[in-house]
Order: sequence, then structure tokens, then C-alpha cells
Amino acid sequence: MTLRRAPLTVWFWLTLAALAVLVLFLLLPLFNVLVGSFGRGAGGPSGWAQVASERKYLEAVLNSITLGLVVTLGSALIGVPMAYVAARHDFPGKGLVAILPLVTLVVPEVIAAQTWLMMVGNNGLVSRALADWGLELPSFYGWFGLVTVMTFTYYTYLYIGTLAAIRGFDVQLEEAAQSLGTSPVLSRWKVMVPVVLPSVLASALLVFTLVVGNFAVATILGGKVPLLSVLTYQATVSEVGSDPTLQSTLATLSVGIVMVVLFLQRWVVSRGRREVTQGRGARATRLAGRRAWLLGLGAAGVVSVSLLPVVTIVVGAFTQARGPVMRWGQWTTANLERVFTRAPDPLFNTLTYAAVATLVGIGFSVLVSYLVVKKRNRLTPALDYLTALPLALSGTVIGIGLVMTFNTGWLPLTGTASIIVLAYVVRRLPFGTRNASSTLYNIPDSIEEASISLGVPPVATFFRVVLPLMVPAVVAAAVLTWTTTVAELSASIIVYSGGRSTLPIEIFRLIDSGLMAQASAHGLLLVAVILLPIAVATRVFRVDLFASRN
Amino acid sequence: MGIRIDSLAVAYDGHRVIDGLSLDIERGSFFTLLGPSGCGKTTLLRTLAGFVRAEAGRVHFGSRDVTAVPAHQRDIGMVFQDYALFPDKTVFDNVAYGLRARGQDQTTVARKVGAALERVGLDALGHRHPAALSGGQRQRVALARALVIEPQVLLMDEPLSNLDAKLRIQVRQTIAELQAQAGITTVFVTHDQDEALALSHRIGVMNQGRLEQVGTPSQVYREPGTSYVADFVGAANLLPVTLAQPVAAGTRAEVPVGGRVVSARAPGALPAGAATLVARPEDIALAPAVPPESAGDALPGILPGHIVRRQYLGEKTSYRVSLPGGASLDVDCHGAGHDAHAPGAHVVLMLDPARTLVLPR
Repeated sequence: MTLRRAPLTVWFWLTLAALAVLVLFLLLPLFNVLVGSFGRGAGGPSGWAQVASERKYLEAVLNSITLGLVVTLGSALIGVPMAYVAARHDFPGKGLVAILPLVTLVVPEVIAAQTWLMMVGNNGLVSRALADWGLELPSFYGWFGLVTVMTFTYYTYLYIGTLAAIRGFDVQLEEAAQSLGTSPVLSRWKVMVPVVLPSVLASALLVFTLVVGNFAVATILGGKVPLLSVLTYQATVSEVGSDPTLQSTLATLSVGIVMVVLFLQRWVVSRGRREVTQGRGARATRLAGRRAWLLGLGAAGVVSVSLLPVVTIVVGAFTQARGPVMRWGQWTTANLERVFTRAPDPLFNTLTYAAVATLVGIGFSVLVSYLVVKKRNRLTPALDYLTALPLALSGTVIGIGLVMTFNTGWLPLTGTASIIVLAYVVRRLPFGTRNASSTLYNIPDSIEEASISLGVPPVATFFRVVLPLMVPAVVAAAVLTWTTTVAELSASIIVYSGGRSTLPIEIFRLIDSGLMAQASAHGLLLVAVILLPIAVATRVFRVDLFASRN
Repeated sequence: MGIRIDSLAVAYDGHRVIDGLSLDIERGSFFTLLGPSGCGKTTLLRTLAGFVRAEAGRVHFGSRDVTAVPAHQRDIGMVFQDYALFPDKTVFDNVAYGLRARGQDQTTVARKVGAALERVGLDALGHRHPAALSGGQRQRVALARALVIEPQVLLMDEPLSNLDAKLRIQVRQTIAELQAQAGITTVFVTHDQDEALALSHRIGVMNQGRLEQVGTPSQVYREPGTSYVADFVGAANLLPVTLAQPVAAGTRAEVPVGGRVVSARAPGALPAGAATLVARPEDIALAPAVPPESAGDALPGILPGHIVRRQYLGEKTSYRVSLPGGASLDVDCHGAGHDAHAPGAHVVLMLDPARTLVLPR
């Protein structure tokens, strides 16, 4: 008998090509950051020596970790009970809670920070009203503001993750436990908690990474609290000339923190790994009386706090201002006119870059997830791992890596629009891929085989049979990618150059100058740019944006 | 177009699933691969389809060597266990898919699809989507889709296993009729012996990646070559016995069972020592014992015992009879009063000497 080797198919070469792209635009920049941290800039001390010698860096690391833990805990305290209640009970106002996932999408972090400042900052609407009553709020700059804004920005991730897990939980397991003699409450605790916990932990980890990597809220509200992400950004753009070894070192540190936590999380999850089978979800029980109203009020409270930024941005955009002073109650359209007439470039740039990034990113995501899910070979695990890697990297780190890698050399991209698009694509890659993959897992292999058995070649089969089935998921992924891309700030603010500013960058600069009315006008536009495709997708094309998460 | 398989080997992750298998399937015949799950029958089918790559060996469709031919160029029709209908396409478009892939023009496609749907009795449902069909209807669409392209070879992977018992027999009939009409060489995979016996011209019983026996339905049922085949095809009592002397092929052996001696046929030559006695429950006659034990009861070929279990099955009753010495036999009684014997009753059993076999252990 002669042994045959499997011939290298077109899928193998596509895998190789996709890997090459990821190595060039993701691994190489990351590698350069790590290597850079060991270099010595202009004869000065190495980055690690600088970090070790100055107290503020150690403090920043500790602060970032503390902030991450506190915000994650706070988000869990709000998000997990809300998810449980929403999954298992009906109560007045439950519909309000259902819009929560949308809120995280619609309100970019930079706008959340801005609007909280407009309400409870030193000169905020609420602070001043309270001051008239003789009440003084603690300063919103520093821990108070950081924890509040980040918690109310990120709790939805825990809410969404937990909700999906509880909904997917097979209620028959609970019934089985009850039939074996444990009380309903105890059954739920003993059977549901272990099954749901890995998902909760995964969402918690995501929140932690987002907090540690957060740039917008940290910079705007950090005040005197040194944070790793802020110092990294400052080292990159400092006016006395950027310090490449220091920025690499700080970026490496933040990657390190996330990696350690990621490792811990995997360890915890693997110890409690359970086969999760999709089963019959539980029916929600209707609550009545005082408990129902209390729940409804609580949920409404959380949701309205989450929605506060949207309201504030609308009001702010139409409020007269003289420099940094808002004249509340006096209306104008001047702010918006200014955005369109005097500075339309950021809007135009945002739309162009995000459109290109969405197309490129989704195309690549569909290819990669198809290879990973349906055409496994020796290389696809690496592909799978690499596409998830940006989840662990903050935008700042990605931005620094891209600038360090493509500043000069055979592919000089710095100063071009391509590097901004590239930063967008790399950052949002995991979202698109995850969305596409989850649909592909639901498409049985036999569908493809049926097509091939009827005489259609494999590649043509993909386009004729698989892709049409993926369309709803691809559209959903594209909308999600678009909404998060137009709001992207932390990577683009590092790679952008003169004349290539985007709406979030513009908003950030205006907040920095205290021009809240103009920032609101830009913000309103940004929210509109985000909302429009969501509205079209969900209303006109009836796409379920969160189908793949449930 | 016949199928010839030579010394085929297939491995998954370095583990041989099929090892040196050879088989000839006659042109136009209905061949069934029968075996328990994990025996390699589906892998063999998928190798014929071209979805699984052979590590060694060759596959020919007629005179054409298809070993290295990709699935879409093999000119096969395949029916999948979960139907694998395209959920976004209508019944009509599902059936038309293969014809369009072959570049046939609209009118031909419409005509052929119409005819195919009519053949399976679904001509009124062409506009529906698969989700709006019942299981049996989906199965028939899958059949029509595979047959409409007039493939050289039709492959079916447990196509009936997702249907309920009644429907299974109905669709089974449809499959048999369509195959006979079209005269397409068909390979059918199943773990259900009734399906295999009812549909096939020939059956290949598979065990751990090998063909244990190939033959007509009556051959594998009546003349099982091994106790594995006897056990898997139909119900059989398998009793471990010891032969006092070697037995030549095709001769009769006297086999000691439960303190008596029964006569059994040996299809193959057997050495002295351990062997297996095979008796199907319907080939054993059961009668009440007349106390005290008469001289006639001690005749060779007659075994005394008592009933330990009775199972009423409608058209027959199944008894378990315990023999002296600990062995027990399952016996089926048909005819009027087949459930007359009560548990605990002393009975005598008569094994049909023409149908009782002795096989290698």
C-alpha cells in the first residue's frame, strides 16, 4: 500500500496568506513594542530603568490594576443581578432593560466622560444646582469620576454576557436537581451557578481589560491619579519629543497585566470546565406587587443613568456657550452649523476611514472564521489565536506598535490615512471574527457537502451556499464593527496626523480645551453616525444585532 | 456503473478507521453497509463520496479511477442523515441546485425539477422553504435533489434514522422504488438490520473497519459466516460450546449443550475445542414437558428447561428458557396460543437441525 499525503488545497494557501497579513500588521508591531522596551533611546537610561526609578510609574501600575478590579466588581454588582432578573422574571419596565446593549454601542466612552463632566464636573449643571442648596459634591476628577463613569459604561458587558449564559442554560438540569431532592433555590444555586460562572468570568475579564486599556475616560477624568494608559499616551505624544523606549516599556507593562489576568481566567475556567449543552431555557415568571415595582424602579434607574449621556449631548449641542461657559436654557444651532461649515473634515474622515475599515475588516473576518471553523488545518489554530489577540491589547498599544513599525522602512504608512484604517481593522478584528464564527458553527458541514456532491466546486460552494446563510450575521457584524470603529479614539489618536482628525479625536481635543458645547455638537453627530446604520439594520432589514451572542 | 474498492485504508488522526478493505459493488445494484455506530461504515461512504481522503488503496467507479477525484467531480448523488437542505432556498431551488451547477438551461431545469418533485409526491410544495416541511417531506426533497442530477452513484448516509417508525417504512418504499426505476448503483449506510434486509440486493456487514461478511440478505441472515454477523443481523442465541473433535466444512456436528447433544451444521471447517452454537429464536420449537420426563424427551436434539421470562409482543411471544447447567435460550413462539406458557413452566426445546449452526468462537 502506498501512502498518500493530502495535497495543499486553496484553503491552505488562503490560511497562509491570512497568517502572513496578521504577522505583518499585528505580530510584528507587537514584537517591535516588546523589543523597543529593551532599547536605549538617545543614550539615556533604558525604559525599564526609567520605570523602576520613578515612583509614579509603579503607582500608575497599581492604580490601573486597582481601578480595573473596582470597576469590574462594580459592573458585576450591577450587571449580574440585572441579567438574572431580566432572564427569569417579568416586571413593569422590563422593555427598558432590553435596550441596554444598544446604549453601550451608541455612547462612545469619550462622550460618556464628557457628559458626566457636564453634569457633575466642577462647573456641571447638577453640581451648581446642588451648590445652590449648600451641598458640595466631591471632585469628579480622580477616583470618584473614574469609577463612576467606567462602571456605568462597562456594566452592560457583564449584563449581556450573563444574560446570554442564563438564557442558554438548560432548565431541565434544574428540574433534574429538584427531582433528586434539592429545593428550587438550592437547585438553581448548585446547578446554574457553575454552568453560568465561566461566561460571567469571561465578561468580567473583558471589562478588566477595557478598564486597564481605557484611554478616553482615564485621560479626561484621571485628574491627579496617575494611570498606566495615560502615562503611555503622554510618553508617546509628549511635546518634548516622544520617548520611544519609555512608551514601549509602558505599553509592554499594560500588555503584561492583561496577559496575567487572561492566564488566571483561563486557569479558573479550565478547573471548572463543564460541558455546556444548549437546552430548553426557563420561562420568565411574572412578578407582581411591591417586589415588581421595586425591580422596575431599580432597572429604570440604572437605565436612565446609562442614557443620561445621550440626553445631555442633545441638550448641550443646542445650548449657547461663550468659550467654556455653558448658558443653559439659551438655545442655538450655531454649534452644529459650525461643525458642518467650519470643520467638516473630521466628519468626512470618520465616515471614509470607518467605511473602508469595516469593509476590509469584515471581509477578512469572514475568510478567517470560515477557515478556522470549516477548513481546519495545521495552521488554523494559530490564525484563531492571532485574530483574538487584539482583545488583549489596548488601542494605545496597537497604535504605538503600528507607528513604530510603519514609520519608515519598506512600508512607510505614518502620516497616511491607511495607518488609521489599519489601526481600526486590527482593533476590531476579534468582534467581526467572533460574530462570523458563531454563525458558521451553526451551519452543518453536510450543507456544503450536499452542494459539492451536486457538482459545485468547494470555493464556488462557499459563495453559493455558505455565504448567503452568513449574510444576516455578516451584516450584524458589519454594523457592530462600524459603530465601534467610528467611535474609536485610543489607537487613532496615536497614529493620526494633521488633517486626518476624526470625530472622536476632535471631541477629545474640544473637551481638553473645555469647549463643551462644541464637543456636544460633534458628539451629537457621532451618535447620529452610529445610530443610523443600527436603525436601518434593525428596522429595515430586521437584523438581530445580538443574535450571535445569545 | 459498478464500484470497485481495492485495499482501501482511511485514518483519522493517525488512527486507522478502515484498514485494507476491498469490495465490488455491481452496476445498478442496491448495496447496504450495515454495522453498529463506529464500525467505519459512514467513513467508507464518505470516502466513496470524496469527502474523506484515502490513505492507501483505490476506488473505481466503472473503469474510472476516482481515488484522487474531488467530490464535486465524482458525479454522485448523496442523501444525508440530517437532510442538509439549503435552508435559505425553496424546495424547487434545492432540487434545481445541482442542475444549475451543471449549467442546464431554465426550461430543462424546470422540467426536470418538476418531474423529480412529482416522483416523490411533492410537486405542490416547490415554493416552500425546508423549515415549512415535515421530516418525511424533507427527506423526499433530499432524495429528489440527489436523483435529479442522474448521478452515476447514489450514496445514502442513514437517510431514515431521523424519521419515526411508520414514516420510515413509507420512505423506505419510496427509496426502493426510485432506485429500481433509475437503476442507479446505490450504497446505503444503516445500523438498522430491517432496513438493510428490506432494501438491499447485497449487504456488507461491517465491524471495526473491516467487512465481516458480504452477501444477499438471506445469505447474511441464514448463513452468517461469523457469530458477529449472526448476532448483529437479526436476533440469535449464541452459546459457547466445546467440540470434541474437528468438523469438516459443510458437515454436521454433534454439539453438547445443557447435558444433551444437539445437531448443528458447520458452514466452515472447525478445529476441536471452543466454538459457538448459533440458533435463532424462531428456529427453536417449544412444547410443554410431560412429567415425569418421558423417554422421548431424552432424545438427541431435545433440550429440557424451564421458562424464566415471558414477553408478549403481539404477533409472537418471546420466552427465555433456562437450561440445566446455567445457559439460557431465547425462543419465539408464533401461532394460536403463543403466549400460553407461563413463567416457571417446565418445557422442552427442539432446535431445527437444518438451521442451527456451529461457528468459530
